[in-house]
Amino acid sequence: MIEESKTILLVEDNPDDVALTMRAFKRSHLMNPVVVVRDGVDALDYLFSRGAYAERAGASLPTLIILDLKLPKLDGLGVLKALRADPRTALLPTVVLTSSKEQQDLVDSYSFGANSYVRKPVDFVEFVEAVKVLGLYWLALNQFPSR
Amino acid sequence: MKISSKAKLAATLMLGTMVLIATSIGWADAQVRAAVAEQQRCAEIAGALNNMRMVTFEYLLNRRERARLQEQAAWQRLDRLFTSPIALDEAAARILANLRSQGEASHRLFSEVDAAKPGAGAADEVQRRFETQLSSRILILQQDSLVGAERLINDAGARIDATQRRVVLITATGLAAMAILTGVAAWWFRRDVLAPIFRLELATREVAAGNWSFELDVGSDDELGDVARHFDAMTRALRDSFSQLEVSNRDLVALNKELESFSYSVSHDLRSPLRSMDGFSLALLEDYGDKLDEEARDSLQRIRGASQRMGRLIDELLGLARVTRAELKIQEVDLSAIAEEIARTLTRAQPERRVRWDIERGIVVRGDHQLIAIAFQNLLDNAWKFTSKVGDAVIRVGTRHEEGEPVCFVSDNGAGFDMAYSSRLFGAFQRLHHEADFPGTGVGLAIVQRVMHRHGWSLRADAALGRGATFYFHPTIRAGREDDRREQDHLVG
Repeated sequence: MIEESKTILLVEDNPDDVALTMRAFKRSHLMNPVVVVRDGVDALDYLFSRGAYAERAGASLPTLIILDLKLPKLDGLGVLKALRADPRTALLPTVVLTSSKEQQDLVDSYSFGANSYVRKPVDFVEFVEAVKVLGLYWLALNQFPSR
Repeated sequence: MKISSKAKLAATLMLGTMVLIATSIGWADAQVRAAVAEQQRCAEIAGALNNMRMVTFEYLLNRRERARLQEQAAWQRLDRLFTSPIALDEAAARILANLRSQGEASHRLFSEVDAAKPGAGAADEVQRRFETQLSSRILILQQDSLVGAERLINDAGARIDATQRRVVLITATGLAAMAILTGVAAWWFRRDVLAPIFRLELATREVAAGNWSFELDVGSDDELGDVARHFDAMTRALRDSFSQLEVSNRDLVALNKELESFSYSVSHDLRSPLRSMDGFSLALLEDYGDKLDEEARDSLQRIRGASQRMGRLIDELLGLARVTRAELKIQEVDLSAIAEEIARTLTRAQPERRVRWDIERGIVVRGDHQLIAIAFQNLLDNAWKFTSKVGDAVIRVGTRHEEGEPVCFVSDNGAGFDMAYSSRLFGAFQRLHHEADFPGTGVGLAIVQRVMHRHGWSLRADAALGRGATFYFHPTIRAGREDDRREQDHLVG
């Protein structure tokens, strides 16, 4: 599998945050394709090829999911729960990237099977640094069982 | 009627009955004594009469001088017995008077016999017959007297018996009256004292168990009625203040929930616009920096600085809210270990700084480890920050005793502050230094204060401008927990 095919699924409803995250990917030289979905239901539809994403049936799953917690319709924790309940996505690396550093959010995310929890810093320089480390680790360094 | 009046009445009645019984026993005793004395006197009279009869008889038989003298003596004794006063009822007095007249008659006849001394000749025959006649009359009289005396004795005995029966009757009646009185008092005590006390005891238990609607509603106007009325008033007051408390408690819970959701949305939503401001300002700088003049770039930098500062403020505010919300988990906390750990971290972050740490070992208190660690982080961060411009910085953590109470302190020899502004020291976002000199948000000491407050400990500061600051707190003042305090004393001391 070549590097570029490792898709990232970005689940984020705030367009500013989408733009900034995309910019951070670019600045940290992450060239992977990024699919952006705007809420939890869309995320699950994309992953399980339903609804608007029905034509995706049979296509490969993303290599990494970057998940915000506060989302319209179905929130991040709901998405996590559904992912871990399905054998196809049960092991899919999922990183929670959110503004919150509420203890409860951290505990809930890990209990529902998040692989990482990263807090978005206000300082964009720090944000780029965080995204860079994230991409490097999960897309290049981390080994994962092949499907 | 008041219980005290009833008790007085009962005591008076009892006392009266007892006095009555005692009096009648005394009276009966006097009666028996009198009857016994009467019987004795009668017996003496009977004895004397018998004696007189014997000597008279002997004299009439033998005419001896000695017997005549003895009759004289017997009569004198009898006369003495008759004349000495004696209390008798009417019948007995009549018998006695009869006895007396018979005795007198008998003595007179005896004198006549004595006077008619036997002589000689024919006259002797007449004389003898007369004498015999007299003697017979004497003997008959004396026989009658003996019978009368016997009756007197018997009557006196009967009187003793009657009096004794009367005594028994009176005593039994008195005892029965006392038994009835005691029974009535016991019944009354049960109804008016014990039963209300049982009800009161039940009410106390009910109210203690939280049944605020329980009311005694006792109508009696005695002392226990007063107690019951006061008890009901107390229960009503308790009920009122309890329902008030419940209302304010509900309000507090709602408020706390609101604060929680507020904190949550602050944590999630308030920071993301700041991220956009910072991120897009930086994007502008990076992408179009060469097309902007110095002033425009400075403005963009200022937007970034302000966004980041606001991000820090929000974080600190959330920290403050967390300290307020957090549930206390009280356990033994090693203050020294916490301080040493923080000191190590600070030194590692700025190894170029020369600061002497003086941390007393083994300071242990009872409190919430996490909150105390947060408070110490803020206290030592401050000490570290405000000694940054001092050549030989010293930061101390230790204990001492003030008026017998252990006090912990954190002191530094840094910039200090003017005590004139100390009232603003523990308010959130209150700062006593310029941002340019010592950066900060002004939330740190507010957090420290809140942690101390949640433990029930008092916090105060002592400082002088340019001569450092010391913060004291009393880890002993724990409301109402005497044993805890003692334990703490031991641990801290």
